Amino acid sequence: MKDKKMWDWETPRKEIPIKEWQDRFVWIEEPHVSCDGEKIASIVNTDEAEFNVCCNGETWDEIFEKAWSLKFLPDGRLAVLVSNDEEWTICVDGISWEKRFDYIWDLKNTPDGSFIGAAVQKEGLYGMVVNDTIWDSLYENISGTILSNQGASAAVVQVTPLGQGDIEGFSQGIFSIAVNGIAHPESFMNIWDLSFDSKGKQIASSIRKNRVDYSIIKNDALWEKNFQFSWKPEFINNNNSVIAPVRQNGKWFLFKDDMPLWDKSYEQLWKLALHEDGRKIAAIVSDAFGKWTVCENDTAWGLHFDTMISNLFYSDNGDSLIATVKNQGYWDIAVNGKSWNIRADKLWDPVVSSNNEILATRMEKDGRFYLVVNGKVYKDHFDRIFEPAISPGNDKILLKAVKNGIYSRQILTLDKVL
Amino acid sequence: MQDTIIENEKKKPDGKNVIDDGVEQGLAKLTPERISSVINQVLTKEVGPRFKAYVETCMRCGLCADACSIFLSNDRGPEFSPAAKVKQTILEMIKKKGNVSKKVLKDAVRISYTECNVCKRCSMYCPFGIDIAYMMLQVRRICHKLEITPLYIQDTVNSHSATMNQMWVKEDEWIDTLQWQEEDAREEFEDLRIPLDKDGADIMYSVIAPEPKFQAGLIYQTAVIMHAAGIDWTMPSFPGWDNSNMAMYTGDFEISGRIAQAHYEAAARLHVKKIVMGECGHAFRSVYDVGNRWVGWSMPPVNLIHAIDFYHDLLTSGRIKVKEKYKKTVTLHDPCNVSRGRGLHNKAREMVNILCESFIEMTPNREHNYCCGAGGGVINCGPPWKGTRMVNNREKKEQLERTGAEVLIAPCHNCHSGLEDIVEHYGIGMEVKFFGDIIYEVMEKTVYKKNNLKEG
Ligand code: SF4
Ligand code: SF4
Ligand code: SF4
Repeated sequence: MKDKKMWDWETPRKEIPIKEWQDRFVWIEEPHVSCDGEKIASIVNTDEAEFNVCCNGETWDEIFEKAWSLKFLPDGRLAVLVSNDEEWTICVDGISWEKRFDYIWDLKNTPDGSFIGAAVQKEGLYGMVVNDTIWDSLYENISGTILSNQGASAAVVQVTPLGQGDIEGFSQGIFSIAVNGIAHPESFMNIWDLSFDSKGKQIASSIRKNRVDYSIIKNDALWEKNFQFSWKPEFINNNNSVIAPVRQNGKWFLFKDDMPLWDKSYEQLWKLALHEDGRKIAAIVSDAFGKWTVCENDTAWGLHFDTMISNLFYSDNGDSLIATVKNQGYWDIAVNGKSWNIRADKLWDPVVSSNNEILATRMEKDGRFYLVVNGKVYKDHFDRIFEPAISPGNDKILLKAVKNGIYSRQILTLDKVL
Repeated sequence: MQDTIIENEKKKPDGKNVIDDGVEQGLAKLTPERISSVINQVLTKEVGPRFKAYVETCMRCGLCADACSIFLSNDRGPEFSPAAKVKQTILEMIKKKGNVSKKVLKDAVRISYTECNVCKRCSMYCPFGIDIAYMMLQVRRICHKLEITPLYIQDTVNSHSATMNQMWVKEDEWIDTLQWQEEDAREEFEDLRIPLDKDGADIMYSVIAPEPKFQAGLIYQTAVIMHAAGIDWTMPSFPGWDNSNMAMYTGDFEISGRIAQAHYEAAARLHVKKIVMGECGHAFRSVYDVGNRWVGWSMPPVNLIHAIDFYHDLLTSGRIKVKEKYKKTVTLHDPCNVSRGRGLHNKAREMVNILCESFIEMTPNREHNYCCGAGGGVINCGPPWKGTRMVNNREKKEQLERTGAEVLIAPCHNCHSGLEDIVEHYGIGMEVKFFGDIIYEVMEKTVYKKNNLKEG
């Protein structure tokens, strides 16, 4: 990511009118905004089966027959999946990759934006492409693609063809994990929830061995125990250990390296959050049917939510454990066991300041979009709002939103918001 | 597999004679020890107090028998009564402490997967409300664990587990199909979109995998309806788009849970307010009642409505206007899972009256309607069982015939396919349609309200 310090944190307000785009183009799709808020872009239709990308009013040179999945990368570049003459590729800032595919989807990038990857299909075979380099081997099918922070790629691939209705063949195990295009020799009935270690060197996942037995695999080593089910594992302890939610006797447990880690069992336990390599571990749990809470190092919050917890994560310094929750039909943010009580209709995960003191996010309520900081709703409302950012000095909020056809990038001092 | 089908067609359709390769191969591998250990594990560790109460309460009074259309279709053959289905399967397993023969298991597969639609009609007539469907699902759970599920439905569940959709639709095929339907629909509205992964849209629309696989035109129709109604909607490009769930019917509750999880996870990731699902009954049961609860969501974690609810709202709010009412005489089949299961039958009738000139009720109707005969995974057991399914659907055929209607509206995919089979097999001159087909045909093709920014 471009150093946040280099962003313009001074100019109070910059505007880009986008309403006029609708007169220039046949139609425009929903806009996307760059992290620094300086650019706004949409896929636009210019004629029958003619698409382009319009960024801050400028279009690219090349026109496409199809374009979808527009995305700003963390470094401010703009990527989109495009097709001409029935060939697909990725176009970044108007320059298409050299490689062409019969189809491309599942566009993803590393946190710094330096690696861009996607799932691809070429002549009926499947693999991944990363920074314009396609896997050496392609497979019958692909699912669950992931990219490590360093740009390593992995997916579940089908290594053996399967005839129609061949349930016997299926039970032999036709799926393997492919890392950077190379399939592991072991194959299984099902593989889900791929998870790289922090260096992108090792991989773990949920495995189904047969009709009823599930387990966890770390690289090529299966845990010895069989479980009734499992969810996504994570690496901890300098990448030496793997933890995973597993089901035994109808209850969910957290296991580490094939052994129980937490004492208590739950009705449900999934989506692990980690801090400092597993010194703190948290999970979304249900400790009674239909009641959801957060559990940190085997101790549950006192607070419960009746609908859902969608995401859970730690602030960078680990002091805050943040959950996006839904209770009685409304979305909310809960931090270290306390709710904001904002009752949103739509709500996104918050961003957190480096000093851990500010949490900023956006929500929709009664058809209007708002900025929310530390549970306080900013007075202005918008037709559309994008992910806010917090200044490196932790004293300003970057607000990016559209109102009445005008995109505005505003710098708000904290006292204005709180 | 083909040989088996031809073989079966020659014989008089009797479930006892059906050879299903999945069942046969599974049975061949079973040992008496495995049989008893699996049955006892399910009976002692998995079933809840509800199960024991039912087993102990049934008086064998037979009041439920006439409620079952499969019983009626088989000339009231005693072995087809709901209570007898329990007696021949789960009670036998309990009585023998799990030490049952392969013959008993083979009968249990036939009875629980193909002679019960788990439609819950009988429960309404039982003085104790005994849930026979629940008991049959426990039989299926045992058969699943013994790996003796019918071949076709097992293949469907295998697909669910590997792709999170029931028809082995590959990830690129799904997106490509949506883009192709979108392109075609631009003949009608030049700026029509099927918006993929639109973060923060109001509605996520989900379908069952047969739509992209065989009936992409249904997605086209919905896209036209959404566009004309000015709805801010999206469809996920990633797994979770298929709301169907055959694992719930084979007894593979783990895969069933993962499917429901993927569906709601997709909606949460897209930050939508609501999921609208297409016209499917079992899928509704799966995401509203079964799969969600297995993972611990007592209610759908994201608001979820069936297409009947959604279309009703569009028609009564004036977002979709009827240009000219549908002329042919129509009747309506109430799918059990959204009628008995959700009470949508009155809304469905209001819709028929808004859309069509002439409506003939079938009897019985509403929550008392007979199942289409395909439901509960029965049709998904595939060609080997089609002959007996037609025998078991005789009562349904008579119910349809009595209406004399030209068109049969069936707002459920399973019902739709099953009813088409009945219509074809018995030579009833009826067209089977979805509400979406009728709406598409009679609606005004204008856009309700243009968004200021013309964004789709
Ligand atoms: S659930 Fe339906 S099909 Fe099964 S026994 Fe009862 S009425 Fe018959
Ligand atoms: S009506 Fe109820 S009690 Fe009577 S036989 Fe049927 S299930 Fe048993
Ligand atoms: S297919 Fe339709 S009628 Fe038949 S059981 Fe399902 S919902 Fe009921």
